[in-house]
Amino acid sequence: MSTLPARRVMQQVAEAIPRELQREIIIVGSLAAAYHFFGQDSGGEITTKDVDGMLSPNAHAIRNGRAIAERLFEAGWTLKKDPKWRTLGDASTPLDELPILRMHPPGNTDWVLELAAAPPAGSSAPKVFERVSTTHGDFTLYSFRFLALAEEDPLESDFGIFYARPEMMALANLLHHPRIGPEFIPGTEEKRSNKDLGRVLALAWLASARERDALEEWHPRWLAALQSRFRTEWAELALRAGDGLRLLVEDNHKLDFDEATRLSNLSLLKGLDLGATHLRATARRVLGDALRPLEAAARTKSVA
Amino acid sequence: MLHLWVMPKQPLLPKRAGYRPDFRLGDTIVEVKSDLHSFRNLRAALLQLAYYINEEAAERGLLVLVHPRISDEALHKEWCLLERTLQPEVLRRLFLAVRRESGVTPIAGDLPKDLDRQILASVDHEPRIQPYRAPQISDAILLVLLNEWLLRKGPMTTHWLMQAVGCSYPTVANALRRLGAVIKRFPDRRFQLWGFPTEEWQRVVANRERSHPTLHYLDRSGQRRGAEALLHRAVGLDRSDIAVGGVFAARHYHPEFDLRGTPRLDLTLHSPNGRVDLSFVEQLDPALERTSADDEHADLAIHVLRRREDFYVSEGGGLPFVDRVSTLLDLYDARLTSQAREFQNYLVESVG
Repeated sequence: MSTLPARRVMQQVAEAIPRELQREIIIVGSLAAAYHFFGQDSGGEITTKDVDGMLSPNAHAIRNGRAIAERLFEAGWTLKKDPKWRTLGDASTPLDELPILRMHPPGNTDWVLELAAAPPAGSSAPKVFERVSTTHGDFTLYSFRFLALAEEDPLESDFGIFYARPEMMALANLLHHPRIGPEFIPGTEEKRSNKDLGRVLALAWLASARERDALEEWHPRWLAALQSRFRTEWAELALRAGDGLRLLVEDNHKLDFDEATRLSNLSLLKGLDLGATHLRATARRVLGDALRPLEAAARTKSVA
Repeated sequence: MLHLWVMPKQPLLPKRAGYRPDFRLGDTIVEVKSDLHSFRNLRAALLQLAYYINEEAAERGLLVLVHPRISDEALHKEWCLLERTLQPEVLRRLFLAVRRESGVTPIAGDLPKDLDRQILASVDHEPRIQPYRAPQISDAILLVLLNEWLLRKGPMTTHWLMQAVGCSYPTVANALRRLGAVIKRFPDRRFQLWGFPTEEWQRVVANRERSHPTLHYLDRSGQRRGAEALLHRAVGLDRSDIAVGGVFAARHYHPEFDLRGTPRLDLTLHSPNGRVDLSFVEQLDPALERTSADDEHADLAIHVLRRREDFYVSEGGGLPFVDRVSTLLDLYDARLTSQAREFQNYLVESVG
């Protein structure tokens, strides 16, 4: 994986997005986190090859996705070569066989900007695909249900483009992994759930490094976001948000926890020399300081 | 050294032959013995457990010795004697392990790995742990006498001291007899300390775990919260049985107390009935873990106060402070030896 300067990449993405659409895309994932925590440091780096942009709101995602893709093509951005998609999609290509919009900046194949969409309002499907047609072919915009949380009160970068709050990405990951699933990250034998739950711990650790009691501020925001985005089922979601993390810290998932630690150390926590002991303690803080009050609020609602 | 024993898990195990083990983990019946130092007690514990599991063929019996004063080698020898005595059918279901600083070590029998961890969790992290044996009463009495002397309260009666410590007349009488050289008796049978009992005090400090048992906790996240932040959370617990001691209390009693920063938070938990609920530690900081006082520098120390009267000093809002003598012991426990001596001198000089 490449090491990228977080601030410069954020700037490059922002400059590539048409100005009128800059406020309708939210950077999520590792760039958002790295920019948040290291973005003021010109040497702050992110170890990744993917920059994830989520088109928000969903209602404009197809229109905006097309406009952004066309603008990127015009500016010399190129589609990432992928053996899975040897030919471009067209109107006849089934939706689930369309390539994803993954584009390299001009003259640089170190990283790709991957476009996705915010989930449709009210959708309960875990993953939704939508077609976007461009002059270069048809593509799919996927959306994950819980990334609706990333739309909640996003932060603005110095370059005018929005990025998701770390705590919202953490909650989305928690909800997305209620168990330690067997699915591997493509091309690896590393579990997706270990990476994403490890990311929760990395975000929590970095937030606490910036401000010791940061996690105490997570649960009020989590509660408000859940109530806003999942009006009828927020309490149920709040009560199960910690399920995956609780499994990860169990003794019989020690190898998973070790993998989560290793993957975190390859990414956001690179160079911090943190071990599983540190992240286990951080997991206890996430559970005790952030999830427990959230669960308490949900129980209060259930009783009422 | 800290002495632990585990409260029985719910529901209570049924008694057999008048004996009820501490708790059950799956099909394993567990008995925990703290501070065991005699072979007689070891044999009694093993035999009781053997009797117990003999009545139920599916059960295993595990005796955990917490910080025993018997060496592992001696325990192995004792087990060999047991092997020649017990029926093999019972023996194969019987296990012996010790809990020392490094964890649980099997002495006899192969403990399943998962059980090993559960035992450790039960002994160390169970909120209902009762963290020490009955205190050395004569030391507890001396601490009260000393606190009264430091406060210039004047002579006291035996009855008052019995009430303060929570012990019987003969116990107080015996303790006063042992402390005879430092006790000033009055014609009306009241008494007080002659002065600062240097020799007795040194003995108490050297053996302070007996009268001032302490649980130490350390941050494991690499992001310690700091004593002030922990204190802030402790204030929010709304517990009347907790008081703040250590450096915070020393600064309260002695504003010139000479220490930069606050290396740890010392809290005292008043537990006259011996029941201790340590679940609040997680509320202070879930990243804290129990640690050994010998190995590492603690971020939090919880001292358990067993006497009847807590002698906490309330100063309006926030947590009360522990008494001066407890504060002094906290400082010694934190290895702030020079500061402890300076505080001790200040207290003694204040008496005049």
